[in-house]
Amino acid sequence: MSRQAIARSLSRHTLVWVLGSFIVVPLLYAVLSGLKSTGALTANPIGLPDEWKFSNYTGILSSGAFWQQIGNSVMIAVGTTLITVAVSSMAAFAFARYAFRGREIFFTAFAAGLMFPPAVAVLPLFVLLRSLGLLDNPLGVILPQAAFALPITIIILRSFFRTIPAELEEAAIMDGCTRFGFFWRILLPMARPALGTVSVLAIVTSWNNFFLPLLVLADEKWHTIPVGIQQYQGQYSTDYALVLAYIVLAMIPALLFYAVAERQLIGGLTAGATKG
Amino acid sequence: MTLSATTDDRPRHAARAPRKRGPEASAGTRLRGWLASTWFLVPALLLFSCFVLIPILLAFFTSFYKWGGFGFPDDFIGLDNFRNLAGDEVFRGDLWRGFLLVVLSLVVQLPLALGTAVLLNQRMRGRAVYRAIFFAPYILSEVIAGVLFGIILLPGSGLADTLIEDLPLLGGLAGKWFSDPDTALPTLIAVMTWKYFGFHMMIYLAGLQGIPKEILEAASIDGAGAWRRFRSVTLPLLAPTLRISVFLSVIGSIQLFDLVWVTTTGGPTHSTETMAVTMYEFGFKRYQMGYASAISVAMFLISMVFSLLYQRFALRRDLQGAVTSAGGRR
Amino acid sequence: MGIPHLPRRSFLTAVSAGAVLVTAAPMLAACGGDGSGSDGKVTIEWMNIATAEPSQSLFPKIAKAYEAQHPNVRIKATSLENDAFKSKMTALVASGDLPDIYVTWGGGVLKQQIDAGLVKDLTSDGSELLGTVTDVAKKSYQFDGKTYAVPYDMGMVGFWYNKKHFEKAGISGPPKTWAEFIDAVRKLKDAGIAPLALGGKDKWPGHFYWAYLSMRIGGTAAMEQAAKSSDFSGPAFVQAGEKLKELADLQPFQKGYQNAGFDTPGGQAASMGSGKTGMSLMGQWAPAVQEDTSGKSLGDDLGWFPFPTVDGGQGRLTDVFGGGNGFAVSKDAPPEAVDFLAFFLNEQNEQELVSSGAVMPVVKGAEGALTDKNRKMVAEALGASTGFQLYLDQQFPPAVGQEVNDSVASLIAGKKSPQQVAQSVTEVAKDQ
Repeated sequence: MSRQAIARSLSRHTLVWVLGSFIVVPLLYAVLSGLKSTGALTANPIGLPDEWKFSNYTGILSSGAFWQQIGNSVMIAVGTTLITVAVSSMAAFAFARYAFRGREIFFTAFAAGLMFPPAVAVLPLFVLLRSLGLLDNPLGVILPQAAFALPITIIILRSFFRTIPAELEEAAIMDGCTRFGFFWRILLPMARPALGTVSVLAIVTSWNNFFLPLLVLADEKWHTIPVGIQQYQGQYSTDYALVLAYIVLAMIPALLFYAVAERQLIGGLTAGATKG
Repeated sequence: MTLSATTDDRPRHAARAPRKRGPEASAGTRLRGWLASTWFLVPALLLFSCFVLIPILLAFFTSFYKWGGFGFPDDFIGLDNFRNLAGDEVFRGDLWRGFLLVVLSLVVQLPLALGTAVLLNQRMRGRAVYRAIFFAPYILSEVIAGVLFGIILLPGSGLADTLIEDLPLLGGLAGKWFSDPDTALPTLIAVMTWKYFGFHMMIYLAGLQGIPKEILEAASIDGAGAWRRFRSVTLPLLAPTLRISVFLSVIGSIQLFDLVWVTTTGGPTHSTETMAVTMYEFGFKRYQMGYASAISVAMFLISMVFSLLYQRFALRRDLQGAVTSAGGRR
Repeated sequence: MGIPHLPRRSFLTAVSAGAVLVTAAPMLAACGGDGSGSDGKVTIEWMNIATAEPSQSLFPKIAKAYEAQHPNVRIKATSLENDAFKSKMTALVASGDLPDIYVTWGGGVLKQQIDAGLVKDLTSDGSELLGTVTDVAKKSYQFDGKTYAVPYDMGMVGFWYNKKHFEKAGISGPPKTWAEFIDAVRKLKDAGIAPLALGGKDKWPGHFYWAYLSMRIGGTAAMEQAAKSSDFSGPAFVQAGEKLKELADLQPFQKGYQNAGFDTPGGQAASMGSGKTGMSLMGQWAPAVQEDTSGKSLGDDLGWFPFPTVDGGQGRLTDVFGGGNGFAVSKDAPPEAVDFLAFFLNEQNEQELVSSGAVMPVVKGAEGALTDKNRKMVAEALGASTGFQLYLDQQFPPAVGQEVNDSVASLIAGKKSPQQVAQSVTEVAKDQ
């Protein structure tokens, strides 16, 4: 390597390191501060704790509330994802593979949903859910979340389904497969990468959702992680080392999931971009 | 809707029997064909109507009433809510701040994201790790980011103040951050950049990887320098991705709520308030549901008009492909 | 791409089975219902704001004692920090499903819940219990001759101050007039002490200034008139704004007050408790929260004085602004809820609550349990009061109360003029 190349590579790394430290320092700060007592944290925000206070973390982990919130978040994310993917894949199948009257109108209607951020509908949604008796019921979060995830999921899946050659379906029909049989037993398994991508998206969106669960799930037993964090912060507002410990623990599932599903996210992204 | 689960289950048992249907449907079976195709749409249509379309219509309906949120709205006041909204300083402020948010995130966040993407698009050791780190905040919820930065930026004893206290230029910021109406919005944008720039970077990276190497090599052979190559080849080819990222940025700031709510609840003195926060304040703190609905409707109309204009003039043909790739991140 | 290679069939079966389970589970859970469980136990949901000592440990203790005496009752208590409680309540009220027992401050906020048909009338069900409580404590919960909540705390807003700082700044004694007060603020500032602690983010602490000033200038008569006519544009309110602006222009508040809450880290109570500020305008609960949030006690350095009078104003030093804390019972609460409240306020518990400093006495004859000098002063001021005004953000319907808080916050921040505050509050009040 020439000296110039080394210098360039070095400066590149320095640049990335500087940028990266802005991302990492707050996270690191949270992890370390969670190991201090609030008094020590106020006195000395930087640096390692003098006394490692693991009890902040173990205390939260041994409380039922934290695990219950994790459980609720998991249930709601899984429920949302299953419904989103099931419903969208059927719709995307129809949109991708059949010409029928009104197809474009329907599709435009769904695609238009992309333009509407969920916050727009939160208030009337609340009123609606109240009259349906779905407040304090996870379905009151799952169903609207699934509904709002439909547009993007349908669009992604439709473009994927389109890449599957028509001959395949003809062959399947020849073999005595019904339309649904083809969809269920051939198309869906083939579309697993795309299904993986949309599932990951739906899970992440649901996991982080705050506005809707905040309004719908007032009862503590249904609190999800984001709502729980906010409540916890309210309850232990003065003990902020403890609050930091709480958010560190709350980060772990998301980051673990990211570590596992990173390829899904990025793979889907790349595939989509090259298609454009 | 348990429908989806049960119907998905059915065909394996019931609909196994082969049906006779050629590739070309005859005239008599056209309707049946239509029904068979649209049958797949039914769950999606139901779900979408119930929880997206009906609420939006409901918001339109209640926005014409003075309504406290209980019982059936009966005090019809026509367009009064909208008239008041137009004269409401806070709401007009929301619009202005929304505009600032969009512009500033375009000026700060997107160039940063693009620069990082270009940097990471080159071959370098540890690229995957860097990429993962930059993207990590996007995975975390707004609430986590908000609470974390709320504590870091605590006046006096927070990490940020301790770090900058003795610095010559930044020292003046100590104690301000979210606490001063003049610095609160920039601080919010800084936190948003922390949270979202990795996402935009990822979109750009994907876009960059879609640019054929041959083109860049050809430009290089023609004697184009690095900057020239970037400007004349990379940037134009990246345009669809950029436009999508701008689109998402705008839609995102129209509905910004979580981050604001956990850091400042819109304060100090409305300096970080967004439309969604104002809507919450009126709907759930003041019980002026009719007025809050009018804000919902305004948000809806603004997103719609923006989307239509943007699609018409900016996205045009590249909508389809790019949306499918990029839209998924939101 | 890295999807687990389950056999296709079993993968899909698992997915669909999962879908059924996930969608069905909450429905089944929802069928369980609440109130009385299948085991014949009665559950009372109890939502309070006891997040600071001594209430934080006393409240659960009382609940446990009650459960021990009544094995068929389970008390499910939720303690929320003040502002978290308020935002939670708004959501609960909107959903129409309130906890069996919850904290209320009475006034227009409670009235709205009553009008929505969510609150139980306790006049007859709780008559025995209400008979033991002082009349002044009950006032804020009474509408059309009916009582809708049981008070458990009663007090008033006044200045808590740090005697050591006053000494250091050369202030001879508690200011009696607004001019003296402004002078004290200046002196504290000159001595390098932040004169006032304020939780600007919460907004309600700021409205205490405006309300008290209006009262001192216009007297309680002006307040009553404004409430009746929904007109806050009178001179008392505008002048109050001017006085407050005069104060705010001195920049008397602690660093970062605009995004500080009352009881959050670095907030109003914490900066007062840790001795960083000279004064704090707050209600009877202030000392407890100050200790809890700062982990320190000011001990004998903490003093109290009533809000000073304004020269030429109609109001007297003995006119009181403040309020109590009460427990309202929701419409569908089990009868045991009222019984629990009676237990909560029985002689022994009231004695303990008062003497520990958790609350001010509401039961007739419980004043004797007060030992703390400052809290005795508050009780005496309350006892000798010549007029009473409830917190404005509770007295009026939420829309008006929020507008008061919001406008006054803008005034303090220099974003609204005194006239604009009076005008916008009037506009909202007239619209109700």
